Amino acid sequence: MADGDPVDLPAPPDAQNRPRIGVDEWVGQVEDRREHGPRVRLVNAWNELHLAAKLAIFVGPAAFLPFVVSSDYWMQVAVITALYAVLAVGLNVAVGFAGLLDLGYVAFFGFGAYAYTWLASEHFDLHWDATYAIPTVVVASAALGFIVGLPSRRLVGDYLAIVTLFFLFIFNTLLLNADRINIPFKEGSINFTRGPNGISTVDPMSFFGLELRTLDHYFWLSLVTFAVVVGALYLLNESRTGRAWRALREDPLAAELMSMPVNRLKLLAFSIGAAAAGLTGSIFAAQNGSVFPVDFDLTLLISLYAFVILGGAGSILGVAIGAVTINVALELLRTPENASFVFYFLLLVAIVAILRRRAAAVLAGIVVLGFLLRLAAEGVKPSWTTGEDRGLTWVDRLVEDWVLLPTDIARIDDVAYIGLIAAVLALLQLRGFVRLAALVPVLYLAVFVWQNVLVIQPSVARYIMLGAMLVALMAARPQGLFGTPRVEIV
Amino acid sequence: MTPAILELRGLTKAFGGLTCVNALDLEVREREIVSIIGPNGAGKTTVFNVITGIFRPDGGDILLDGASIVGLEPHEITNRGVARTFQTLRLFLNMTVKENVMAAAYGHTKAGVLRSVLRTPGARREEREINRLAEERLSFFGQRLMGYRWNQPAYSLSYANRRRLEIARATATNPRILLLDEPAAGMNPSETHEITELIGQLREEGGYTILVIEHDMHVVEGISDRVVALDHGVKIAEGSFEAVATDEQVVEAYLGRREATTK
Amino acid sequence: MDWTTFIQLTVNGLTLGSVYALIALGYSMVYGILKLLNFAHGEVFMVGAFIGWGVLNLLGGAVDPRVPVWLLITLMTAAAMLGAGLLGVVIERFAYRPLRNAPRIAPLISALGVSFFLQNSVLILYGANFKTYDTFTLVDPFSGIQLGGVNVWIIRIVVFVSAIAMMLGLFALVRYSRLGKAMRATSFDREAASMMGIDVDKVIVKTFFIGSALAGAAGVLVGLVFGQINHFMGFNYGLKGFTAAVIGGIGSIPGAMFGGLFIGLAEAYSAGYISSVFQDLIVFSLLVVVLLVRPSGLFGRATIQKV
Repeated sequence: MADGDPVDLPAPPDAQNRPRIGVDEWVGQVEDRREHGPRVRLVNAWNELHLAAKLAIFVGPAAFLPFVVSSDYWMQVAVITALYAVLAVGLNVAVGFAGLLDLGYVAFFGFGAYAYTWLASEHFDLHWDATYAIPTVVVASAALGFIVGLPSRRLVGDYLAIVTLFFLFIFNTLLLNADRINIPFKEGSINFTRGPNGISTVDPMSFFGLELRTLDHYFWLSLVTFAVVVGALYLLNESRTGRAWRALREDPLAAELMSMPVNRLKLLAFSIGAAAAGLTGSIFAAQNGSVFPVDFDLTLLISLYAFVILGGAGSILGVAIGAVTINVALELLRTPENASFVFYFLLLVAIVAILRRRAAAVLAGIVVLGFLLRLAAEGVKPSWTTGEDRGLTWVDRLVEDWVLLPTDIARIDDVAYIGLIAAVLALLQLRGFVRLAALVPVLYLAVFVWQNVLVIQPSVARYIMLGAMLVALMAARPQGLFGTPRVEIV
Repeated sequence: MTPAILELRGLTKAFGGLTCVNALDLEVREREIVSIIGPNGAGKTTVFNVITGIFRPDGGDILLDGASIVGLEPHEITNRGVARTFQTLRLFLNMTVKENVMAAAYGHTKAGVLRSVLRTPGARREEREINRLAEERLSFFGQRLMGYRWNQPAYSLSYANRRRLEIARATATNPRILLLDEPAAGMNPSETHEITELIGQLREEGGYTILVIEHDMHVVEGISDRVVALDHGVKIAEGSFEAVATDEQVVEAYLGRREATTK
Repeated sequence: MDWTTFIQLTVNGLTLGSVYALIALGYSMVYGILKLLNFAHGEVFMVGAFIGWGVLNLLGGAVDPRVPVWLLITLMTAAAMLGAGLLGVVIERFAYRPLRNAPRIAPLISALGVSFFLQNSVLILYGANFKTYDTFTLVDPFSGIQLGGVNVWIIRIVVFVSAIAMMLGLFALVRYSRLGKAMRATSFDREAASMMGIDVDKVIVKTFFIGSALAGAAGVLVGLVFGQINHFMGFNYGLKGFTAAVIGGIGSIPGAMFGGLFIGLAEAYSAGYISSVFQDLIVFSLLVVVLLVRPSGLFGRATIQKV
């Protein structure tokens, strides 16, 4: 009979993948299909740790940041990063745990921020203590999440995504225009949101009279919030509710028929995610001292999804890491002072990580090519080497002495840019040695385009890179860095 | 006479112009094993879909332990005691074997969000219970789904084991009646033999009442107390296996008229 | 009843609506065939507008064009259609095709990434300022026909007529040609279509090309009517076109056409009779309402899942 003697437990597949009597081939080769290598071992070791240990490792060192970082600007970045990490983990509840496409999530964040503002600012002259304001905002956000989730009863998948996305747009439009709402029976109009100007008189948070005044305070508050929210969501995910969400993500119909109230679970996912977003929104408003509609737009949504997808939807750790790395990278890329460092660092890391031993040869080739082109240009068309300085750092100085630097870049910048895109796409079609050889001029062109076109406006260039990264990531590894490859029935 | 656990009275379901189930009367008594047979397109799976609440019937009534379950949400019907497996397997592929079974215990457990997060003693006790329940249900299938298999993702299971897991998952809802939709589909002779024995064991040792849709006549013969034959949504025969298998209308439905007359 | 206002608004609505319909068609065709929401489509529209602008400048600009005006406009549109079509094909090849069997969220994220990429690329290359088509110089703003006391500018007529013509052409293509039959078959059941000898990849490529070309044409038409383009227009028009496609029933070609005109008129009337501030809000709310009442859109076909 197939599959072993009823008395003994079947032997687990050992490391030697060979056909064995009583074990079918597919099962016998399970070891082959498991990923090995240091990353997987690290992830497995991490998974064994107790929740408290994980939180300690993640949050502990971060708590010392205020003592290490002296600039206000970077402290602000740290606070925002921590808050975005909480947001990403909250989004992960609906998207990663329950498999629902909530494209309107940022609206809950914005709602939380504005709701807190209404309760604790000069706008309506209410100055609630945070101990009352925050729970109110959280409950209100959860209720809003519930309402937005109601369409999920009739709409699935793409249509749900569409409706939630449009909720975000409606929300944004309201923020921009709700400064003149006419209510019947009242004279004049009510100014809810002060339109594009936002509200800039938000009170600092105070708990029982103790006021949070400095960025450091807000940073620690954000860290505590992160620990509490992540801890709670982790525990929830490892419970009966989390199992039901995962079942719902796998196959909603089968889940419903296996006693799980799918509609209720969807609403729960929406509400909890919204509550987390609302909480984060209130802290955001308080530490900023102001709220503007532009903080809650599609760009943030795409960034949040980038965090979640990069980290691997469903994995809390992955999402948190994704949030921190991408947000910090985006911040670094914002100004010319740092942009080139990040760009060349990322480029080198990518080259070495992908090519490994051949990286040296390729890099050498690029450097040589650069010098040759420079020499040729100086002889034939000197205007191609006399362009003015574009970058601001010593790295830029160094590179600009080596790469071609046309004076009149405006005439060919679009040609070079499109050429680079075409070259990269063509490169994907090549194989083997030809690909390696072609990599040299293409990478040179990339440096050329960066140094001549992109570095001038790094705040825009970073979004170009984010977009490209998302596309590449989806093609190469749709489950993200920390996700497990999922088996789907198409 | 033992009371009927499941009773279908004049059940009718139509999709547009096509009547898939036509005034069907059916009864399944406690600890009975009833098989539904019929050619493809006879409406058998539609009957299951209507019973479990996926579709609302256009006419007639469905009674579980005497109470009507028409109009209830599918998960409520499952909580009342109707569990099923699927013709095309619908496991939670990316969840582990054990989690698949544990998930189905949702309906008769109650740890809510707050209690789960705070890990109250009650919640922890319930979690241990669910764990134990899952292991017990899986042990019904011998050693195939035991031990290291508990933590393997469901997609790593062989086809026959996936079918077994689906049955184990259904039993985890503590059902009054099990609806098995073609449990032997795609199995080789020895696996078919096993499943036949298994269904018998489900009734003998597990005390389950079972309604089965099946094409393989060996299985039907081996398990059924009673057989019901459907064709184009209409019941054309009911009785013991021998009676139904030789019934002229049944033979005609499967093989066509000439074969029937040469019998 | 103020007829002149009504006629003016209707003219505006139809002009805008026909453009929305062109964009909506791209969304519907791609969704019908791949079940994919191509969020990058709006940016393809925007790139088409920029290509038209580029050709305009190449041929001397609005002030001193080197060719007759109507030839100029035709060349701009043709170039935009070709360029946008090719862009659509490239996007399909590199951003969507590798993800045919990936979880549903993957192509969605990829689409958002492409959208981001295109929008910011145009921004960095051409700046944030509006670029002008300078149509008033190109075509006399007072030339046109009289309709019930309202002077309808000839450009609006040209835009409306061209858009309708393209849509009718597409309708005929889908209804009567072999390619159309292949497209319909592929959208019903991709696997079965490939087993019937249809080269599914080629059909998908052609679908993307046609849909993107229509969007590119829409880009030039919008530039002509409103005289100005900028890198952000893809977002707004893409959104409206998307709304139109969904309201009409995404996957349905007549639905997209109807949806586009419907949205265009709704927007015009809202702006004229209620408030231009809330016109967007009204349009978006219309979408939510329609979807809640008819989850698969007005002309859409509900997909039946076999259990």
